[in-house]
Amino acid sequence: MQLSGKKSGEGTSGSPVREKGWLKLDNAAKLFPAIMSEDLTLVFRLTVTLKEPVKYSVLSKAVELTSRRFPYFSVSLGSGLFWNYLEMNEKLPRIQAEEEIPCTAFAVSRKSETLYRILARGRRISVEFMHILTDGSGALEYLKSLLYTYLQLAGKPVGDPGDIILPETPPSEEEYEDGYNKYFRKVPPPAKIVKAWHLPFRLSEKPRLSTVEAEVSVREVLEVSRRYKASLTEYFVSVYLYSLQEIFHTENKNRKRPVSRVLRVQVPVNMRTKFPCRTLRNFSLFVMPETDIRLGSYSFEEILRSVHYQLQLSTDVKQLSRFLSSNVSYEKLMLIRVLPLFIKKMAITAIYRGLASKRMTGIFTNPGAVNIPGWMHEHIDHFSLVPPPPNRWVKVSAGMISFGDRLMICFSNITRTRELERLVLKRLASDGVHVRILNNNLNNRKR
Amino acid sequence: MICVNCGVELEDGLVACPLCGMDQEKKDEKGIISDNYPSGIIRLQKEESRKYLWELSGIIAFSAIAICIVVDLLISRGMKWSLYAAISILETWIIATVIMISRRNVPIMLTGIILTILAALLAYDLVESGLEWFFPVGLPMTAGIFAAAGLVAFLCKISRYRGFNIIAAALVIVAGLCMLMEIALDRYIDGAADLRWSLIAATSIFPVAMIFAFFHYRMKKGKQLDSFFHV
Repeated sequence: MQLSGKKSGEGTSGSPVREKGWLKLDNAAKLFPAIMSEDLTLVFRLTVTLKEPVKYSVLSKAVELTSRRFPYFSVSLGSGLFWNYLEMNEKLPRIQAEEEIPCTAFAVSRKSETLYRILARGRRISVEFMHILTDGSGALEYLKSLLYTYLQLAGKPVGDPGDIILPETPPSEEEYEDGYNKYFRKVPPPAKIVKAWHLPFRLSEKPRLSTVEAEVSVREVLEVSRRYKASLTEYFVSVYLYSLQEIFHTENKNRKRPVSRVLRVQVPVNMRTKFPCRTLRNFSLFVMPETDIRLGSYSFEEILRSVHYQLQLSTDVKQLSRFLSSNVSYEKLMLIRVLPLFIKKMAITAIYRGLASKRMTGIFTNPGAVNIPGWMHEHIDHFSLVPPPPNRWVKVSAGMISFGDRLMICFSNITRTRELERLVLKRLASDGVHVRILNNNLNNRKR
Repeated sequence: MICVNCGVELEDGLVACPLCGMDQEKKDEKGIISDNYPSGIIRLQKEESRKYLWELSGIIAFSAIAICIVVDLLISRGMKWSLYAAISILETWIIATVIMISRRNVPIMLTGIILTILAALLAYDLVESGLEWFFPVGLPMTAGIFAAAGLVAFLCKISRYRGFNIIAAALVIVAGLCMLMEIALDRYIDGAADLRWSLIAATSIFPVAMIFAFFHYRMKKGKQLDSFFHV
């Protein structure tokens, strides 16, 4: 298979997205411009660690070829009278050196910047995407494509690409369609939920974000979760909730009336698995398994049983459609559509600060196992992720991704306390899973 | 060759790492380009935003000056009040410019602000009476205020404890400033200095300063002002 580099501006001519020049924000992304900040960057990272040091010149070429294949990512954020939109700028993402703090904000007011970047250090290639552009699933497709092209250009013997998107194939309209709007149908909205309890930890100094990364064996965790008759996600969400419950009891020992007694974890659901949609832009919703402490303290097994049934019920496509319908309904209301953008932004900020951001105690994201062709495995050590920096109420978010037998868990934390991480990993260890905390060197890197 | 900073493999012949900018032969960290890091782009964006804001403020300031002059010409058939307005607007804009340019260099910023204020006073005097009160009154009084503020800042810097002792010292300095102002005013109006109101002010301020000093040295030694007054 022969690949060739193209000069800036070439490569996607004739594609409908390029001719149009701009794209509407999808339903999830419409909220983000109002709430993003230098702290709440809405940026997440996916990393692949190779078995050899990254070759800069090869990476540079691979990024150029791959990025031309994803023209709908070569955009900057524009502001219209009524809505923000994505403006095609046909720029390639920057290839930058990885620095101490992951998931740094993007310079959204610079029209020459894209809303994703490539980072390199040692054996690691990372992509950082702004959530306005896509979700974890879309970013993973890009990273797999980049990885394929990189290995090919590096002279590695390539085999069948499987379902990886190849740079020489033309982009299809399905890849940048708005899944939310496509599968919207008016159904009754979901029941309202009360505010959740929040971790009482003190925020750290700016820049706040730090991460803790741990590695466990997929085989070991699967054995444990099978022992509990649960799926991997159910097991992890239960460990998360159980650890939150422990912190709740420690913190509220002496307090008579805590603000709220519901512990709730937001778990993103990839809607592509529910609908036949191939979009590479945002198409996820959330389920929110919870534990109501007002009814008393729960054993781990009780939490696990509850989480199992809650996830089974709430991930049903009909239930998810209620959230989809509710979210999309707002943007379809003429009264809201004709409001000027600055008023919309003020309203969204107020709603987010007042209610939306306080609905959950924690966030747990699991894009699942990375599926790539077998011949690529020998060049790759592992995949890892950094979930987006949590807001000031949630304070800690967690994510995991697996490749082969290696499951990487990462906590993004904006506080001075590592208690939640300690309790989660301690619980895994006490269940017989060997946990290894990684020295990802993030805390002693030079700027 | 592997970059000693980023750990990525560089092609032969590359002297500096394209990612971080580090010179691979000299191992010179000074060569590291901050713009090659994500946070560097954010800094770049902030600088650009400040530049846009400054350009916009310039357009607004000069438009306001033009409007004042045109209105004055139309109504008064000459330039009277509009000159004062123009000097004020220009002074504000220059101070904003000085702050923007030298915000990381405080001595240069303060010097720029002081010179701008003095120049504005000189301009007011020139417009009003052709240089009458600036040198005998305006200059010594303004210089006195800046010197007093500088002295308080200096005391703050050298003091181990920044508590009520600083307030006491500041009050004594204000008393001295009052006397300096009366001398300057008297000499300008009557031709000779005769200390009256400033002495009353000084004798009133002095006991208050002593009480603050007493509080600091006898009762609350080591109490920091920022902890006492924190909101």
